[in-house]
Amino acid sequence: MSAYFNSVTLRRWLPRLLLMAAIALAGAVAGRLVGRWIAGPPASPALGGDAVYGVTLPDLAGAPQSLRQWQGKVLVVNFWATWCVPCREEMPALVAEQASLGPKGLQIVGIGIDDAAKMRHFAQSIHLNYPTLDGGYGALELSKTLGNTVMALPFTVVVDRKGKIVLQQLGPITPEHLTAIATQLL
Amino acid sequence: MDTRPTSRGLSPKPCRRLSLLVAASWALALLAGVPSRAAELLPPHEAFALSARAIDPQTLEVRFDIVDGYYLYRDKLKFNAGAPQPVATTAELPPGKVKHDEFFGDMQTYRGQVDIRIPMAAPEGGRQLMLVTESQGCADAGICYPPQRQILSLAVPVAGEAPSSWVVAPVGRPAWLK
Repeated sequence: MSAYFNSVTLRRWLPRLLLMAAIALAGAVAGRLVGRWIAGPPASPALGGDAVYGVTLPDLAGAPQSLRQWQGKVLVVNFWATWCVPCREEMPALVAEQASLGPKGLQIVGIGIDDAAKMRHFAQSIHLNYPTLDGGYGALELSKTLGNTVMALPFTVVVDRKGKIVLQQLGPITPEHLTAIATQLL
Repeated sequence: MDTRPTSRGLSPKPCRRLSLLVAASWALALLAGVPSRAAELLPPHEAFALSARAIDPQTLEVRFDIVDGYYLYRDKLKFNAGAPQPVATTAELPPGKVKHDEFFGDMQTYRGQVDIRIPMAAPEGGRQLMLVTESQGCADAGICYPPQRQILSLAVPVAGEAPSSWVVAPVGRPAWLK
């Protein structure tokens, strides 16, 4: 190709490319705006760690446990129930995370919304290596204050070492996602 | 071969191509800007829309319209009628689709529209009955809702009268809250 052809092509197409880029940018901005309009404002306001650390619930043996004892760790609070199949399916991965990242400062704590006997049975069956608390059915309300607006399970909250809630997730958390977040915070 | 356009302006063909490009970039940008709807889950009374009616003096009928991507557990359904004394009923639950569960064994699930007839032991024509339902379901997105209790008030027709009109169930509450 000749230099003449290239410069002519460039001169002809550069304005058009710039125009297309400008249109695409305008489209992207419009898309964001439409997206925000459809989704509404962000669902949950920023919450302080006290929303989590202030919680005290009995463990599966009946002894009261305050979440504040894990202040300073990367705390993962997982709301679950035995009647929730996706909860039971994600928990073995949580056990693995606790085993691998626990020594580095990760602490997973389950809050069960269920009968304690059923929870004990399930906890034994998967060799649960982190505490799970008996939230009673009222713990669903607690999860709502932490951002679980439709009050479904599983629901997981991640609190960093300084007490800031960095993740509120409805639905199972993948091991990759949890590892990535935890590694960043630890 | 010389492929350069002969005119300095936009020939009709590139013009059409340009408008196509504009449309495509807009569509892509819109898609990128709209957050994933999968993350936005319905509250249970919308995912499992419930309505009921009385067909005749001795039969109630319940309908669940289950939104795509959600399912109800057949064996978790409960129906109690009364006002104020309980009325004996036997719900005729159609077979569901079997879903295997390691913990609970095989569970039958309902999707789409499910109609359940609830014959009563004796005719109740002319009475206003309260129907208390309990239902529990999940979404394919990987979440489950706690058992929901909903209460409907149904006017039972007397013999020979037309069925009552459908009553839409109000928002439910977790079944364990009395």
